[in-house]
Amino acid sequence: MRRPRSLTPLFFLLPALALMVPFVIYPVFKTIYLSFFLDGKFVGLENYKNVLLSSDIINLDRFPTKSPPWGALIHNIVWIAIHLPATVFLGLGIALLLRREEVKGSSIVKSIIFLGMVIPMIVGGLIIRFLFEEGAGVIPAIFRVLGIERLAITWTAYPETALFAAILGSIWIWTGFSMLMYSAGLASIPKDYYEAALIDGANRFQIFKNVTWPLLKPITVVVVAMTLLWDLKIFDVVYVATGGGPGGASMVLALQMWDYFARALNYNYAAVVAVLLTALTLIPALWLIRRRE
Amino acid sequence: MDAKKMLLGLFLVGVLSIAVVASGCIGGQQTSTPTTVTQKETVTETKPVEQITLKVIGPWYGAELDAFMEVIKAFEAQHPNIKVEYKTYRAEDLSTILPLQFESGDTPADVIAMWGWFIAEMGQKGHLMEFNGVINPDEYVPGILDTVTVDGKIYGVPFTAAAKPGFWYRKSFFEKYGLKPPETWDEFVALLEKIKQIPGVKAPIVSGDSVGWPLSDVTEHFILTFGGKDLQLKLINGEVKWEDPQVRSIFEQRLVPLLKAGYFSDPIEWTSAVDLWWKGDYALYFMGTWITGMVDDPTDLGLISLPGVKAMVLAPDYFMVPKYTSHPKEAMELAKFLATEGQRIHVGTKSGKLATWKKVSIDDYWEPMKDVAKVVANVESAPDLDDSVGGEWQKVFWDQLKLLWVQPDRLDDVLSTLDAKFPKK
Repeated sequence: MRRPRSLTPLFFLLPALALMVPFVIYPVFKTIYLSFFLDGKFVGLENYKNVLLSSDIINLDRFPTKSPPWGALIHNIVWIAIHLPATVFLGLGIALLLRREEVKGSSIVKSIIFLGMVIPMIVGGLIIRFLFEEGAGVIPAIFRVLGIERLAITWTAYPETALFAAILGSIWIWTGFSMLMYSAGLASIPKDYYEAALIDGANRFQIFKNVTWPLLKPITVVVVAMTLLWDLKIFDVVYVATGGGPGGASMVLALQMWDYFARALNYNYAAVVAVLLTALTLIPALWLIRRRE
Repeated sequence: MDAKKMLLGLFLVGVLSIAVVASGCIGGQQTSTPTTVTQKETVTETKPVEQITLKVIGPWYGAELDAFMEVIKAFEAQHPNIKVEYKTYRAEDLSTILPLQFESGDTPADVIAMWGWFIAEMGQKGHLMEFNGVINPDEYVPGILDTVTVDGKIYGVPFTAAAKPGFWYRKSFFEKYGLKPPETWDEFVALLEKIKQIPGVKAPIVSGDSVGWPLSDVTEHFILTFGGKDLQLKLINGEVKWEDPQVRSIFEQRLVPLLKAGYFSDPIEWTSAVDLWWKGDYALYFMGTWITGMVDDPTDLGLISLPGVKAMVLAPDYFMVPKYTSHPKEAMELAKFLATEGQRIHVGTKSGKLATWKKVSIDDYWEPMKDVAKVVANVESAPDLDDSVGGEWQKVFWDQLKLLWVQPDRLDDVLSTLDAKFPKK
């Protein structure tokens, strides 16, 4: 005989639902709803068409032959293309370099690298701004010393360099996360595996390729997914460092959404970008959840 | 059995929670009741005035806030029953908070300083009190109420204004290098070239940057000098395109050649720029009158307007009173004070601001501002272009000028973008 299904578990969901319905679920559906309206009238996919065809989002007149602005969506993609591999491999490299106990001061170095993650993003954006400012920042100063005058400028002021200043700065901020994750992953690999590999005559590269890298795969999945999510929703760093400029050369989707919302007071277009952004972030999020399952 | 116990436990927790919340509410009533009784008792005997706290939101902090608080103190002294609480919010942040609060019939403060265009927009949506009959428009600098007036309804009151009168210099710097303020355009260009040759000077003019507004101030000064107030107003109203030959020529013949010649620095964070200019890395700095309160020695300040300037931007701060205030009468009283006698007090402080209320005299000003007030009084005042248009376009304008500053060759792109993004009527 089949036992009657108990409703008790549902009861335990109530406290969470009581918060999630008004603060998460309702706003999500309301945002989707808003994205199909303009001036109170239902317009179907018109808003999506207008936003996606806007040069604010995709500017194929300038991409890829001319300097930015290339459109917020393309800027986000460029961001991912540079930032994702850079932070993953930099974090892994630093974690590998500093994993040995005999490396003196490794914890101090790790703490310094992790500092970028600890400071508020707004402060991070300000630091990036000054790091790349001619006369105040270390980056233009380095290029001046190297004799590369073309890059000894205020990076955030020029359309050719503003986006890359923000991306490079965010690599500094985010590498701490990647390094920390890989450090934890490396610490969890038993030493026996390495000893066995050495006895079998494996060299360092073979040990990395066949032991370390496969065992770090779960960590890599998390780092890649989290970095993707971070790259897609990047806002505060750009807002403070460049404001999306000059001439929209460093505009990203989240900042464009904010501009539609707070500057243009166009809540429908803002909702469209919010929906697109959510859809894009769902891809890595679902991938991550599946991999973890 | 366990589940039953747990359910019972949760039920009890729920009942207790409701009891706590209810007792809080009742408690609130209980605490207020004696007060009411006391008030009633006293009303019959001594008729005390009800104490009210008004909340004010503005963008000021630091020295600017000190100056504003002088005005608030004067208001409180005149109105012993009103206490004013001040909170600092940037207009950019308020622009995200206020529309949502207003839609839900709420307001974070009783009197709020905000952009003029935003006030007009919120007024049109029915969220604000009207000032018709509260202030006398004839007592104000002409045109100053236009930004906050829609269909004859005044939705905001002007406070003091910052003027953007020209390029500031240090008198001591000019004396040291034997420089003189120019009287013609050619002399102005010659002066810039002479400054450029001075060893240690990075560029004749330092360009302030933040989100971009300092560059818009410089640009407007060029428009007002070579196009006049009429052109500025037409640009604000969208009656003249940015690609119009008259506008284009101002850029092509006046501003762009200076940018190409390297007379302007790259945009530098505007407060850092003050320090760099003051220590002599740059000779001139285009900034609003508030700079008088930002330098060590305001008596060392000199001012160069572009020769032949016809009008200057007068950018006031505006206050609005949301309909959702709990104290409409007192809030309107405070707003009126800020728009009138409060201005007299404010210009007497180190605020670096100018009065928009015509009843304020030169004698009321802080000493270093008296000369500036005289200069501004001798030319027409014009509304701030980007503040008047506002919205998304304002940011586009700032952003495009940042682009022009580093790539003057892209003038065509800049002008066409400004036209393309201009709000459709």
